[in-house]
Amino acid sequence: MNSSLKKAAILMATISFISVLCWELYVRSIGFDASFDDDPSIWADKRREVYKAEAEATVFIGSSRIKFDLDIATWENVTGNHAIQLACVGSNPIPVLKNLADDENFKGRLIVDVTEGLFFSPSMRSSSTPNKNLKFYKEETLAQRTSFLVNTVIESQLVFLDKDRLSLNAKLIELRIPNRPGVFQFPIFPPDIGRCYFSRQEYMTDKFLTDTSQQNQTRRIWAFFGKMNRDKPPQGAKLDSIFTVVKTSVDKIKARGGQVFFVRTPSSGPLYEGEKRGFPREMYWDELVKRTQCVGIHFADYASIDKLQCPEFSHLSQPDAIVYTKNLIKILSEEKGWKFSKMTQP
Amino acid sequence: MVFNSYTFIVFFAVVLFLHNLPFTWQIKKINLLLASYLFYAAWNPPFILLLWLSTVIDFYVGRALYTQQNQYKKHLLLVISLIGNLGMLCFFKYGTFLLENFTFLVNALGADFHPAKPNIILPAGISFYTFTTLCYTIDMYKKESAPVKSMLDFSLFVTFFPHLVAGPIVRPPQLVPQFETERKASQKQMLQGLLLISLGLFMKVVLADSMLSQVANDVFDSKAMLKTLDAWMGVLAFSGQIFFDFSGYSTCAVGVASCLGFVLPENFLYPYAAIGFSDFWRRWHITLSSWLRDYLYIPIGGNRNGQFRTYINLMITMLLGGLWHGANWTFVVWGALHGLYLSVEKLIVDFRKRANATSLETKEIKSKTFSNFLLALLTFFFINVTWVFFRAPNFTAAWQLLTAMFTAAPKAEVLLTTLSIIKVSLIIFLLVLFHWLMRNTRILVVVEKMPWWLLGIVWSVLLLLLIWSQESSSSFIYFQF
Repeated sequence: MNSSLKKAAILMATISFISVLCWELYVRSIGFDASFDDDPSIWADKRREVYKAEAEATVFIGSSRIKFDLDIATWENVTGNHAIQLACVGSNPIPVLKNLADDENFKGRLIVDVTEGLFFSPSMRSSSTPNKNLKFYKEETLAQRTSFLVNTVIESQLVFLDKDRLSLNAKLIELRIPNRPGVFQFPIFPPDIGRCYFSRQEYMTDKFLTDTSQQNQTRRIWAFFGKMNRDKPPQGAKLDSIFTVVKTSVDKIKARGGQVFFVRTPSSGPLYEGEKRGFPREMYWDELVKRTQCVGIHFADYASIDKLQCPEFSHLSQPDAIVYTKNLIKILSEEKGWKFSKMTQP
Repeated sequence: MVFNSYTFIVFFAVVLFLHNLPFTWQIKKINLLLASYLFYAAWNPPFILLLWLSTVIDFYVGRALYTQQNQYKKHLLLVISLIGNLGMLCFFKYGTFLLENFTFLVNALGADFHPAKPNIILPAGISFYTFTTLCYTIDMYKKESAPVKSMLDFSLFVTFFPHLVAGPIVRPPQLVPQFETERKASQKQMLQGLLLISLGLFMKVVLADSMLSQVANDVFDSKAMLKTLDAWMGVLAFSGQIFFDFSGYSTCAVGVASCLGFVLPENFLYPYAAIGFSDFWRRWHITLSSWLRDYLYIPIGGNRNGQFRTYINLMITMLLGGLWHGANWTFVVWGALHGLYLSVEKLIVDFRKRANATSLETKEIKSKTFSNFLLALLTFFFINVTWVFFRAPNFTAAWQLLTAMFTAAPKAEVLLTTLSIIKVSLIIFLLVLFHWLMRNTRILVVVEKMPWWLLGIVWSVLLLLLIWSQESSSSFIYFQF
């Protein structure tokens, strides 16, 4: 028994090692890079950084657009200022805004990305990821934090650790087994649309940028979401209550000496046209900026960024994210009076 | 700290390393105790004070109970221990529940009472270590075993990290003697331990978390009336999830202890192949059901006071067993259903005994006949009904799900993808089949008979699926109890 268990253990270790090695080499060979799982532990890690002084760091909240469109390396190189990315994919940023507003120790700079369909979304679903992240942040244990640190080292080295694209469940979903009529199947995004840095910045892969079928697949997903969302954009009292919540939070941050800015990152094509129709600027964006008395930077107002095209209509490619980030810094420093401690020429 | 985390892998590697250094047994026990406190504190450090309090009180009260000759003082000491242990459990686990029910009651009687909602955090594993320490003091009271000689051994008995937060619930004679002489895993124990850890993690991470949990969550969280197929798939998914989650933890715990040279009692014996409900409770969470039998059911009379009292005692035991799982009336109903099942089963068994037929208690239920398989499926069916109350957030949701399971509601919605249905059907089919095939044996016995190459392949498949599933280190369901 003893020797047969020993032999079995050696065989198990050999098979496991060779299989993992082969799988890792294979996924590298088909173009996968190391990508971090954008889970609550990495979000909580960034959330802990928000207490840095205003001159040292800027916090970004919003949805996926700011995660793709803000090139953090560019931001940090040009400004000498640390970018803390707290935006959540497909989410309404208001829960995070409220959390920062209620945190007496947060007195820094905050940039809020507004994607109208999510920011003014009355649905609970769009708040679920921020709420999940906040819950994890508040309840995170020492053991979970240690696991995160170990995981960070492993995830940075092994490409096959990519839960969204290469896990067992992700591969099963790729089988695309037909469903019964009436079953809601969450759309499957193309595999190369995004990778996630440790900073939580997302970027499109080169393969995605050259593969029009993947871009078209993503565009169809935005159209699907547009058709699926049967909630009318909020108006009247509902809209007022959203403005009130946002203004209350903004005022709390300002009262402590913090600053809040709103940005509207680029979108293009039929998606942008649909957004303009669904959420007329004067009723939503302009009103938001007016009511909160904050500075707002809408991409359409600046010639340097208003022509940027999103490959799948909603997010910028990394080269364009660098252009956008440089121009955002320029606008902030030259027009909006922002001072950066170690500013170099964008 | 959870077994399915990188933190635990690092922690356990350090503990194993220290345990195999040439230190004295005393030093090794101190290492294990400190490691156990670290294991617990990695969760919520302040709650370690409760653990210390419970340990110190029960060590001294237990010793006094054993030596005290004066019956009055002896009773008093027992009451102190019960109040100390159960009081702590009541406050942390049932404080909010009791206040809510009290508020509901006085408001129903016309009073306008609206207290502030207390914000009580439940210390991890409190239900488990409270039962561990309680059985020690009760054993001392009854003089069923000798008091533990050293505080170090007693602290380790209570705190030993493999069983600390989710069992198995150990009795003093099962673990304390193991601390008296030096323990070091033999190569066989170490390899068996590693195999059990791999198996336990596979059950928890791959089957419970990766394959079944989402389906169960989707169905139980659904506000809509579902089609019968979807409702059943959700319940079966939870049935599998709760087994793989808890049994996976227990398997890991036994494996971890084995790597250190210790033996912990088994907690699960293929419960979904149980024939009847008393058989089920001999196979499901064995250390809790035997605890409830020895420290609750038998002391309140057991089956010694006639048939009617037996049913009442069964009911009380299962109701309290239900409440042990959580501070919610749904758990009480879950316990009540089990009490009812056991009572009806006992009624049938007694009737058959009177008719001189072979009872279900005899070796007949051990045989793997087709009729027994059908009885096992029938038992599994009734067990699934109870899980609805165990998992549903409230009675409205439970009732809606039961309605969906047993009627074809006109406007019922479809929810689950074909992939989800295939996953649940396949896993539950294999689960029941595996339990049936294994019902009269043990995993390590089967492992011993397997050719080494087959074991190596099966073991590597478990490990590779574990790695491939890439599930984050989610908590075990039973931690909340």
